[in-house]
Amino acid sequence: MELFVQRCFDGMFNGAIYASLAVALVMIFRATGLLNFAQGEMAMMCGYIALVFLSSSDSGIAGTQSIGSLLPGHPWPTWLAITGAVLVGFALGALVEELLMRPLGDGSPLAQVNVTIGLLVLLNGLVLQIWGPFGRSFPSPFPSGMNDHFLIAGARLRYTTLGVWAVLLVVIVALGVLLRYTKTGLAFRAITSNRDSAELVGVRVRRSLMLGWGIAAGIGALAASLVGGAIVLEPLTMMKMLIYALAAATIGGLDSPRGAIFGGLIVGLSQSLVPGYLGVPSELSLLPPLVAMVLVLLFRPHGLFGTVPVERV
Amino acid sequence: MTGLRRVFLAVTVFGLAVAPLLSTPLQLNRLSRLLVLVLAVLGVNLLTGYTGLVSLGHGVFVGIGAFTMANLLDLRLPIWVALLAASAFTGAVGVVIGLPALRVRGLYLALITFGMALAFPPIARQLGSVTGGVSGRPVETDFLPPSWLGIEDQAHIWRYGVCILVVAIWFGLARNLVRSRMGRALQAIRDDETVAALFGVPVAMTKTGVLAVSAAMAGTAGALQAILFPYVSHTQFDVFLSLRLYAAAVLGGLGTLAGALVGVGALVAVPTINDVLGVIDNESIVFGAGLIIATLLSERARRRSATRAVARS
Repeated sequence: MELFVQRCFDGMFNGAIYASLAVALVMIFRATGLLNFAQGEMAMMCGYIALVFLSSSDSGIAGTQSIGSLLPGHPWPTWLAITGAVLVGFALGALVEELLMRPLGDGSPLAQVNVTIGLLVLLNGLVLQIWGPFGRSFPSPFPSGMNDHFLIAGARLRYTTLGVWAVLLVVIVALGVLLRYTKTGLAFRAITSNRDSAELVGVRVRRSLMLGWGIAAGIGALAASLVGGAIVLEPLTMMKMLIYALAAATIGGLDSPRGAIFGGLIVGLSQSLVPGYLGVPSELSLLPPLVAMVLVLLFRPHGLFGTVPVERV
Repeated sequence: MTGLRRVFLAVTVFGLAVAPLLSTPLQLNRLSRLLVLVLAVLGVNLLTGYTGLVSLGHGVFVGIGAFTMANLLDLRLPIWVALLAASAFTGAVGVVIGLPALRVRGLYLALITFGMALAFPPIARQLGSVTGGVSGRPVETDFLPPSWLGIEDQAHIWRYGVCILVVAIWFGLARNLVRSRMGRALQAIRDDETVAALFGVPVAMTKTGVLAVSAAMAGTAGALQAILFPYVSHTQFDVFLSLRLYAAAVLGGLGTLAGALVGVGALVAVPTINDVLGVIDNESIVFGAGLIIATLLSERARRRSATRAVARS
């Protein structure tokens, strides 16, 4: 029992990270019908940027020295560094939309996917080129010492897990408020339902899409910055994260933020519970979420919470 | 055949013919190993370019082909038999993977194959008896010219020639395939799956068939690689191989057979240029940027010609 609860708590931490990335994926999918394969790498870039912000100039991490001479008060405290990374992420997202996605218009989905895959490969190469293949550990913004945990049924619920979930829930509520109660949100929904008509009634499609990409990339950056303390940042980290997040988003339904959170939780838990109980080697922890994803796609192709579209020919 | 294509074909044939004269045995061997990847790129092209199914996992099929070849050669099978069997086996694996994967629509296949590409190396590490586990395994092969040719000391040229022959056979088959009823069915599926089904194309069966052929091609590439460089290990077949193959297929041009040749030209040229210039020591940056630029350019060209067509009518 103790072990079970412990495994659940462990899974919840990863689940929150997957859920945040999945929410970012869903955000883009809702606005443009596109799966952003570069989401993970964009987030990873921002994670490294947070690392640069908060490391001292003599840490030997590429970029810290020049950043240190430019920014006042560098190295920054953890929270400020994360805020900075989120802002960089926002800019990166908006830039990607403006420079790469907008020229494609609403052209073929294949072209859009190709660009995001190109971006994935490019950013991964850049990160490897700039920061090298080493794993970097990362301070957590939450208290994460040996004793920073609640004991529940004999299992440790770490403050970092609670903190990550708290941040995630705040983000979701804020996003929900934005989408439901503001004019910006109304514009988003208009674009999602019909881009051309939205443009005709005066919705600023271009600005809204940039904002949407910015917010999604910002959420991704937040997710990457919060993994600190538990996951080591290295160039392959985020590709695995991406597949977990894609699995989470697919399980939940690609157009449902609620589903993304639920999916993230399922993926996180399956990743910590299945290897433990079924004797799957932990190296293969990629498999249970993948299998879950394939099963969901086979039997409920639009996910557990997604809407079923009607197809016209 | 247009003039430009004829020139391209002539240049390719000429280049392939003079390559053995200009290069050292080591260089020629390396060229052969890259050249056989043209089959994997052709496989991606058949799937993505002709049928509209995005495969981010063809490196897996290359890997399966290579490991199968290694194990078949353990049984002291003649190379030709082993090559055929390894290709057929990889095709069969393609069908097994395809059965669930092809029931899903559109981009979801990209998701599943991407997951596959990430999951393959850890799975290969686990299956130590077949793959040699963490360190990989040698391949027992005597890929030497038959004694009646009297060129025992020119084994590298013999190997190169065999590779070219196998590649040429597959190209001939692929050419017949895309020009046949099956090829038209593939393109109908690419353009609109629902419409294709309405016109009587057996969608699921056609997709499974093309995945089998496409996987078998990649399997042949892997099997040839395994005998060109008699050591196979999971590190050769990581997710980046799959992504590079995909990038090469897009760079070369989707939906044309010659595209695979151009694409593999990129696979050969990029590391060579990197070696010579030594600017960027990782290929991801080049392939990622190339993928993005090629897509943006081709979309722009497509849109221009569409505008022109409208203007003319």
